[in-house]
Amino acid sequence: MQLNSKLFKFITLAVKSLLQHKLRATLSILGVVCGVAAVLSMFSIGEGAKRESLSQIEQLGTTNIYVKSIPLTETQERKSRAKLSQGLTLYDAQRIKNGCRDVREIAGLRELKASVFGATKDIMPQIISCSPNYASMLKIPIFDGRFISDLDMQESKLVCVIGHNIAKNMGASGSIGNFLRIENSLFQIIGILRRIESKERKAGAISLRNYNDLVFIPLTAASLVSKSASVIGATAWPEVTELVVGVSTAQQVLKSVPALKRTLEITHGGAEDYQIVVPQELLNQSRKIQRTFNIVLGSIAFISLLVGGIGIMNIMLATVSERTKEIGVRRAFGATYSDIIIQFLAESIILTFTGGIIGIIIGLGGVWLISAIAKWNTAITMLSLVLPLLTSILVGIFFGLYPAYEAAKMDPIAALRYE
Amino acid sequence: MNHLITAAGICKEFCIGSSTLKILENIDLSLHSGEFISIMGPSGSGKTTLLYILGCLERPSSGSYLFNGVNIIDASDDELSHIRANNIGFIFQTFNLLPGLNVYENIEAPFLYRSLADSRINDRIMDSIAQVGLLERITHKPSELSGGEMQRVAIARAICADPLLLLADEPTGNLDSHTGMEILKIFMKLHANGSTIILITHDREVASVADRIVYLRDGKLV
Repeated sequence: MQLNSKLFKFITLAVKSLLQHKLRATLSILGVVCGVAAVLSMFSIGEGAKRESLSQIEQLGTTNIYVKSIPLTETQERKSRAKLSQGLTLYDAQRIKNGCRDVREIAGLRELKASVFGATKDIMPQIISCSPNYASMLKIPIFDGRFISDLDMQESKLVCVIGHNIAKNMGASGSIGNFLRIENSLFQIIGILRRIESKERKAGAISLRNYNDLVFIPLTAASLVSKSASVIGATAWPEVTELVVGVSTAQQVLKSVPALKRTLEITHGGAEDYQIVVPQELLNQSRKIQRTFNIVLGSIAFISLLVGGIGIMNIMLATVSERTKEIGVRRAFGATYSDIIIQFLAESIILTFTGGIIGIIIGLGGVWLISAIAKWNTAITMLSLVLPLLTSILVGIFFGLYPAYEAAKMDPIAALRYE
Repeated sequence: MNHLITAAGICKEFCIGSSTLKILENIDLSLHSGEFISIMGPSGSGKTTLLYILGCLERPSSGSYLFNGVNIIDASDDELSHIRANNIGFIFQTFNLLPGLNVYENIEAPFLYRSLADSRINDRIMDSIAQVGLLERITHKPSELSGGEMQRVAIARAICADPLLLLADEPTGNLDSHTGMEILKIFMKLHANGSTIILITHDREVASVADRIVYLRDGKLV
């Protein structure tokens, strides 16, 4: 008999033998099913979380450090003033740029609460007053027109750049050259952002903004739309809620943090009215959490596969014992030691492979449910499908080898005489 | 005439604890191609052990055994398997059909271990089924067959690869006299067609269908 035909016969034989005890076969693969489903879920959730972290980091910028002002209580504010801190201002930006060697550029921004004329329930734009370099630092794409310029900033021009959804919502009036009323001022639209696939999320202390629903105005124009956007003291440095500090290379980011901290300690007189957020650290934290999560899920998957494998071994040993006579008869027909090994190994591999397929189907369902109910980001990769399937085959080989060996080493005469 | 089997001084002993149990002692037996012999003897005389040795399933403790010119004593396990697969057909008293397989599949099962081109297998199987008159029962499982039919399937399974030697261990032992006679007729027909057969029985009437009867008592040929 030809080799491929022989292999096909072994597989057919194994399937037929297993089908004779359908319930037993089904019950024996449950452990493998759970293990494979767990492995697939673990990979998909892990991959999803990894991609989300990377996308957050990408959005925040891998070479950026964020300095964010902390909302203070009255007492905290009094203490802060006592230390001569003026809160977070563009003065801090100036000092950081002068004091930290690797800092390339700094953008400041202030989130404003102001009503926009024509805003609907669907579109409630948030106003961001920012430095001109904010768009370039965060790689915000412009669809039409331009972003805020240095001149707009210097002359506190009443101009704005609107997000894709705002422009769409405004219809014909949401085009370049038209005006948008924010509080009591009319801002001329000078740019429209390209649609960005993003949703509002929190990455540590930093909010990942949905640029589609934002209106950008010059930082110096903030005081025109919001009373709270005051100019601090005699120095007249505009107050900001966030500074984006751009470092020359990603490798210099963590090294620049101590210098940044020292500078801010000096400018704020030791007052803790700000917070430094490093996206790279967020990524590291996320990776640590991910690793822990992987270890936990991996352990569950491993235990399931181990239990499943032991179940398979148990069933296969029972099968070998039940089919002692058959083994004797097959040896009399001329089956070699390796023929018997292959026959029983084929059965255990088919069992676990079937368990693997069912596990993958259940795992995919589970991943879909997790995404739908818990709103977790999941991603199914080729590896997350192939690895569990491969593992199930390996479980079949590993746990099927001993029963197959027991079958093959049987004395043919004793097997033939077995009743 | 060339001998298919040449066994000389075959002994078989089993160690049970500290004592040794002698099953066969100094068996000398030769058989030429096309011969039909019966080995007769009471229960426990060592008939089946001798059959298994002659069928290359078991090795003797001492002595020499040549099968078709091959020294069986020195052959490896895989070589013995190869000889069994291609040259020997076994027929058992209890039929030993595989319960999950139908008639065709039972007869096909030994081909898994034989070196025969796939294209010829189906014809061989159908021929052997026709020889034992079971063409209408081809898809039936063993549980749906009578004892006589099961033994006929076992015979078809043994003869379908056209082996050099057919070994039958009490083939009529589990059958009524009428069915037993039908099975013996099949053996006689096979012998007439040139098959070499060793038949083991304790029934004188059954043994009488052979060319030669060999008597075994307490592990010795008498």
